[in-house]
Amino acid sequence: MLAKIRALIWLELYRTFTDRNALLILIVTPLALATIIGLAFSGFIGDGSNDVPIRDIPLAVVNLDEGIETLGNQINNGDIFIEILVPAGDTGETDENVLHLLTDAIALDDPDEARARVDRGDLTAAIIIPPDFSRNLTITPDRLTIEPASIEVYANPAMPISASIVRSIAAGIANQIATGNVTIAATIGYLVDQAQQNPLIGLRLLGEFEPDFSPAFDPANALITLETQTVQGEAVTTFNPLAMFGAGVSVMFMMFMAQASANGIMYERQNGTLQRLLATPTPRMVILLGKLAGTFASAVLQLVLLFIFLTLVGSLLSGQVRLIWGDNLLAIALAIGAAALAASGLGALLTALVRTPEQGNVVGTAVILAMSVLGGTFFSTEGLPILQTLRQFTLNYWSIDAFTRLSLGETNIGLHLLVLFGLGAVMFLLGVIIFNRRLDI
Amino acid sequence: MEPMVVVRNLAKTYHNNGRAIQAVTNVSFEIGEREIFSLLGPNGAGKTTTISMISGLLAPTAGDATIGGHSITREPLAAKRLLGVVPQEIALYPSLTARQNLEFFGRIYGLSGAELARRVDEVLDFTDLRERQNDRVDTFSGGMKRRVNIGVGLIHKPRLIYMDEPTVGIDPQNRRRVLDTVLRLREEMGMTVLYTSHLMEEVQEISDRVAIMDHGEIIALGTVGELIQKVGEEDRLIFSVGQQTPPETLLAAFRGVAGVTGVAFERRETAGNNGEAVDGDGKLTVVAKRGRKALPDLLRLANEAGLNVLSVEVREPDLEAVFLQLTGRALRD
Repeated sequence: MLAKIRALIWLELYRTFTDRNALLILIVTPLALATIIGLAFSGFIGDGSNDVPIRDIPLAVVNLDEGIETLGNQINNGDIFIEILVPAGDTGETDENVLHLLTDAIALDDPDEARARVDRGDLTAAIIIPPDFSRNLTITPDRLTIEPASIEVYANPAMPISASIVRSIAAGIANQIATGNVTIAATIGYLVDQAQQNPLIGLRLLGEFEPDFSPAFDPANALITLETQTVQGEAVTTFNPLAMFGAGVSVMFMMFMAQASANGIMYERQNGTLQRLLATPTPRMVILLGKLAGTFASAVLQLVLLFIFLTLVGSLLSGQVRLIWGDNLLAIALAIGAAALAASGLGALLTALVRTPEQGNVVGTAVILAMSVLGGTFFSTEGLPILQTLRQFTLNYWSIDAFTRLSLGETNIGLHLLVLFGLGAVMFLLGVIIFNRRLDI
Repeated sequence: MEPMVVVRNLAKTYHNNGRAIQAVTNVSFEIGEREIFSLLGPNGAGKTTTISMISGLLAPTAGDATIGGHSITREPLAAKRLLGVVPQEIALYPSLTARQNLEFFGRIYGLSGAELARRVDEVLDFTDLRERQNDRVDTFSGGMKRRVNIGVGLIHKPRLIYMDEPTVGIDPQNRRRVLDTVLRLREEMGMTVLYTSHLMEEVQEISDRVAIMDHGEIIALGTVGELIQKVGEEDRLIFSVGQQTPPETLLAAFRGVAGVTGVAFERRETAGNNGEAVDGDGKLTVVAKRGRKALPDLLRLANEAGLNVLSVEVREPDLEAVFLQLTGRALRD
């Protein structure tokens, strides 16, 4: 029986991937669409000014930093976050700080309140600066080294893109502070060494030493880029629009392919090849499973090819080789498998419910387009509360979100896999059962 | 020797909006080894439904059939192993080559490796397609597609092959070739052939025995000779009347002529200049003993009724006459 199922899978793969017109629709079109949309949102095209397409991300800054007093000066590095992110009064259109356009930040005192507001969806993220932040990053006469410090970015998992941007911003500011403090530590350490070796230098410094370390803390001297390091030195993966739009378009076209492939059973019934298969000494359930396994295999291959081609496009545009959906190949493979199973299941169920292939085409297109719109293929649904509920009923949302998370270096896609595998298996099974009952030719 | 096919009281009832439609009623027949057995009947007579039940595509409402001793209801897979199917439509994958189609269906029939390759080569030789084996089927002519269609049915070397109207829509030359192929299947491969058609000429030519079906029932069964004997020495007189339609009174008057046993009028649609369907010439068919002797009376009656007879053709007894006599209708009605 396995040999027969293998033959049916081969048939589906061969017919799909040797058809030039099909390849144009299944691979070239989604690749072109994803590239164009990705470029548009990356600022690679247009007037070249790299305009920020996402604005007013709501976030809170909670500064718990107790500061530190050294050599008579009170230092509070946490205040730097407030100064940079929270606008001082109404600056209106004259505000040229790009971060004030990108974010809509407020200062809060209570970290629990901030977290609660993030949980409710009022805020995308909260940056919580710990009490020992300045103490760890500042050198004192007693301690001429700086210690690692951590900042908590509490983000809404339902808004991965905006959360990623906030995390990048926080990392950028933290780096700037770390850079300044490292500069001070290095300078003072060097001068102390020199004074110990040559007392004359020490005496001169006592009269003339008026260092100005402010440039080391000036954010204007370092652009906040999406490629940053955390305080601990851990690499941060940044949001790539091509990854999200590529996932959205790939999943939508994969759903079209899976639906068309499953609907092919109806066409086979129309042109007699299905009857011919059913007249062979093969249980009809094996034929159905083989056909639908072929649909699943085609969907997997299509997504794998799109993953490879999107990676090539993304690498060419960014000038560095970078896998479009992240480096965790096992998780990517699982996500591709789950998305393909869900799409194949949907195709099987739709095919089982319609009476003619033409009806299958119309119903399938309508369902897939509706799911794509609600699921965030064409635009982000993060700011639309009603869609945030509806999108959870679409395969697109769970697939796109899983791939986007993977592209950001996250691995928390367990729920996504569970939903996609579960939905896929249920719809697949229902489709097979209903179709089998209707298979009296 | 046990017959290759035994059909007993086979019946199929469909239900449509609470209404029962009897597609096949109480059909029984047997087919011996190496026999060419034809089911003849007009479209909608129940031939395809009967064959679909025998080949396991439809579950019978009542009755059973065996192929090589295996029941189609209790041992369907064993029965199907002995059966090759050649459907009426070209049931092939057009984007695959002839060889790939044969290999694919061979695998579905359980063949593999060297055995599969050998069978594919044999079938390509039998159907004379060896030179075009690596061309896609959608580049083939209608006749070549028919040959591949037949080849797929032979790939697993079945003992029984069912062919459903395999000459529909092909030119006379390819039709001749298909009929020769049917005869070769029996002569060269020792196969039993179950053939369905609504064309009495080809059934008459190739069949050892014929079952005539109408309205889901077998109304006559026997050799061609036995069936023709049912109408005795009756001739068929075919009057061409162009666009005229003979009145019912004339048909009744024809029936009253000495020796006349059946009268039917038919007019088939043909394609007009722009491809549209138009009425073709009307044909009035009369079955009569010593037809030539009855002809003057028939022409006189037609003249009296104002019917302008364009031509008259006299045919010797055949299966068409049998069907006309049994049903009162022409086979193509």
